[in-house]
Amino acid sequence: MSLIKYESFVREPLVDGEKTYNQVTEDIVYTIEAKPTRLWYIGFYISIALLLFGVYSLYRDVTYGIGQWNLGKTIGWGWDITNFVWWVGIGHAGTLISAILLLFRQGWRTGVNRAAEAMTIFAVICAGQFPIWHMGRVWMAFFVMPYPNTRGPLWPNFNSPLLWDVFAISTYFTVSLLFWYSGLLPDLATVRDRAKTKLRKLLYGIASFGWSGSTKHWQRHESLSLVLAGLSTPLVLSVHTIVSFDFATSVVPGWHTTIFPPYFVAGAVFSGFAMVQTLMLITRRVMNLQDYITLGHIEAMNKVIVLTGSIVGCAYLTELFIAWYGANPYEYDIFFKYRIAGAYGWSYWLMMTCNVISPQLFWFKKLRRNIGFTFFMSIVVNVGMWFERFVIIVSSLYRDYLPSSWSLYYRPTIFEIGFYLGTFGLFFTCYFLFSKYFPVIAIAEIKSILKTSGESYKEKMADLENLSVEEFYAKTHDHH
Amino acid sequence: MIKQQFEIPAGYKKWTYGLLAVGIVAFIAGFIFLGMSKNEHDQTRFWAVLLQNSVYFLLVCNAAMFFICAITLAHGGWSVAFRRVPEAISAVVPVFAILAFLVFLGLILGHRHDIYHWVDKEAVAHDKILTWKKGFLNPTFFFIWTIITLCVWTFTGMKMRKLSRKADEGPMSAEDAKRYTWNNTVWAAIFVVFFALTVGSTIPWLWLMSLDAHWYSTMYSWYTFASTFVAGIALIALFIIFLKNHGYLEYTTREQLHDVGKFIFAFSIFWTYLWFSQFMLIWYANIPEETIYFKIRFQGPYRGFFFLNFIINFCAPILILMTKGSKRNYAVMTFMSVAVILGHWLDFYQMVMPSTVGENHNLGWFEWGILALYIGMIMFFTGRALTKAPLVAKYHPYLKESIIHHT
Repeated sequence: MSLIKYESFVREPLVDGEKTYNQVTEDIVYTIEAKPTRLWYIGFYISIALLLFGVYSLYRDVTYGIGQWNLGKTIGWGWDITNFVWWVGIGHAGTLISAILLLFRQGWRTGVNRAAEAMTIFAVICAGQFPIWHMGRVWMAFFVMPYPNTRGPLWPNFNSPLLWDVFAISTYFTVSLLFWYSGLLPDLATVRDRAKTKLRKLLYGIASFGWSGSTKHWQRHESLSLVLAGLSTPLVLSVHTIVSFDFATSVVPGWHTTIFPPYFVAGAVFSGFAMVQTLMLITRRVMNLQDYITLGHIEAMNKVIVLTGSIVGCAYLTELFIAWYGANPYEYDIFFKYRIAGAYGWSYWLMMTCNVISPQLFWFKKLRRNIGFTFFMSIVVNVGMWFERFVIIVSSLYRDYLPSSWSLYYRPTIFEIGFYLGTFGLFFTCYFLFSKYFPVIAIAEIKSILKTSGESYKEKMADLENLSVEEFYAKTHDHH
Repeated sequence: MIKQQFEIPAGYKKWTYGLLAVGIVAFIAGFIFLGMSKNEHDQTRFWAVLLQNSVYFLLVCNAAMFFICAITLAHGGWSVAFRRVPEAISAVVPVFAILAFLVFLGLILGHRHDIYHWVDKEAVAHDKILTWKKGFLNPTFFFIWTIITLCVWTFTGMKMRKLSRKADEGPMSAEDAKRYTWNNTVWAAIFVVFFALTVGSTIPWLWLMSLDAHWYSTMYSWYTFASTFVAGIALIALFIIFLKNHGYLEYTTREQLHDVGKFIFAFSIFWTYLWFSQFMLIWYANIPEETIYFKIRFQGPYRGFFFLNFIINFCAPILILMTKGSKRNYAVMTFMSVAVILGHWLDFYQMVMPSTVGENHNLGWFEWGILALYIGMIMFFTGRALTKAPLVAKYHPYLKESIIHHT
């Protein structure tokens, strides 16, 4: 007997219950074929309402200009850039799950990768709004594209990390979209093959690109996944690295620090996983997917949260230490007078509590496997990560080198807040549509791990588990 | 039956003793001709080389234990078949900890202000910045934190190795296996958390960054970690290949070697990422207090090392280890592992030397001699540790996963 994979009994199953391949399909495709529930409609309409509020806020912004926001003399970036970085960060978990965990062959990714990848795409769309609309004269947005032009010719500044962002984020978006969509093909074909109505057959037929499930298709699909995973892995690092360059290349105290790139990436993965938890805990409940997104999955993600939270904590303390050790009076003042104390001191301590201190509770197995607590913490972490960006941006900017330009206390206007809420509307509108029309769990990938990691299949392996190592080796290598 | 008891081959012994002999001769000659020399530059060279090697190889061997602990925490099963290899490498840590400690004793009690400028009380009193840093850069704190660090690394590493030996005793029931994995994760977590507090932050500041006592970079510690971690994995790869070539580690296949190769590939890129981020951000902001670090390295007499560092530690791994075949090929993996270990040794060379010997740098008999000494010691102590435990932890709960491993 030759095995491709063997899983120890010490590991808990990744799919609970007695499942056949058919049962897996039924469980996951069910929500696409049935009418949405009342809860779905309520959520969807709330999202649309938020989205409309965002559209109105933007209408004000475009019509009357950026003066609609409370940006000041030195705080030229306030909520908008905070929100931008926050949303980009959230996107990272999806890419990490789909790419890095694929390379590490983590079986548990199959339960959550589809929704996390979708979340990535929606989060990046939301993030992109902020720099675009911040341009003010948004109809000039195409100026960021470098091409020989008749404006002088006027080129964008290639030395500016903001331009690198344009390239980094558009590449990231493209590759993430490809990854997500190519993974969807076999599943869309499954929905097509089961379709009872003509329209559904037609639409899913177009969407699945004529997938037939032949060996050749699978081979190409597998190699494509590997190539895209290889491309996405450096992208996970590069996107938030370049976002961190937006700050770190400057000579603003509190921004110019060499640890920023890896620390931003860790923070991004941290907040991304928190958002995945928020979404998955709701999704598994509403769609009855507890057998596929098990407590084991939730625990694994909580481990990533405590790991990345601690990395971020290590970076916060490093920054704080070097601000003292470096003996640079400007750095020292920013950290010790305006961050941990001063007008915005509350936001620093909120950030510390949410991002570093409270995630340490996940060292306890009981709490990692507690659904209510996990849900609460997932919100806490995202609040904390929003404040991290707010602290970095506002506390460094409100005290300029020139005391005469020190700004007043910065408060957002209703339209700044409205824009942010609008992106929530956009995000959840997309997510609701996704959960209605697409399989929220990768059916084909679940099937690929079912027979090694499914509960009922693992039980059948008991005789292998009881063999001694030598017997096991002989039995699994007898074809030689 | 598989071969569980490692017997040190004659050729290995010959090389070990040969390297040790060369190293000891170099050390004694160095002590006489450099350490005792009237010429200050020679003395500085003597101590700087000892510091570079003792810190580098201590961190590299300790990285092997970090590798085990990180995989234990992640419940990785694939590496169990060769787990005794990093364990044996990490058994060198107590020895190297003592050696590093002796070097620190010599540096600080000997008032070597040419190495650690901040040990000179007179200079500190006249230097506003060093006075400001006195709370951190002072002999008392240096020794207390160094001793705690070395003891905790030694102790937690020993604990992990001891736990591992439990998997030799006999079959475990499902309950026992769960408890066993749990105990392992608890100790691995303690190790990793302490590792973050030392290698991930304070220790590189104290031991290395303080060579340039005025300079600072928040990235420094993570950079040091990346450099020694990738070299540690390369060392593991070398021992796996060596044991395979002598007919040991029957359950370890090219599949595992392939994965170790992926680690070397990935962490070489990770190191480059940190290298680039640190360099580029300092270059871009162009603040004199910060660029001074790269002035001598990038524009001064170390320019060659600066680029060599980049070529060996980035260009070579990314180009050579990119393909699947190369990571499964013993010859290529051996070549690349040696290159990476030497490459990061050079990285440490360019971290330590410009800040100590400065313009008067050498890469001569003493530098190579001490390198030989350390390699000889790694071979001697790792070889000995390998003979002391069965090569495969036969009852480890994840061993069967490792046997059926396809990358």
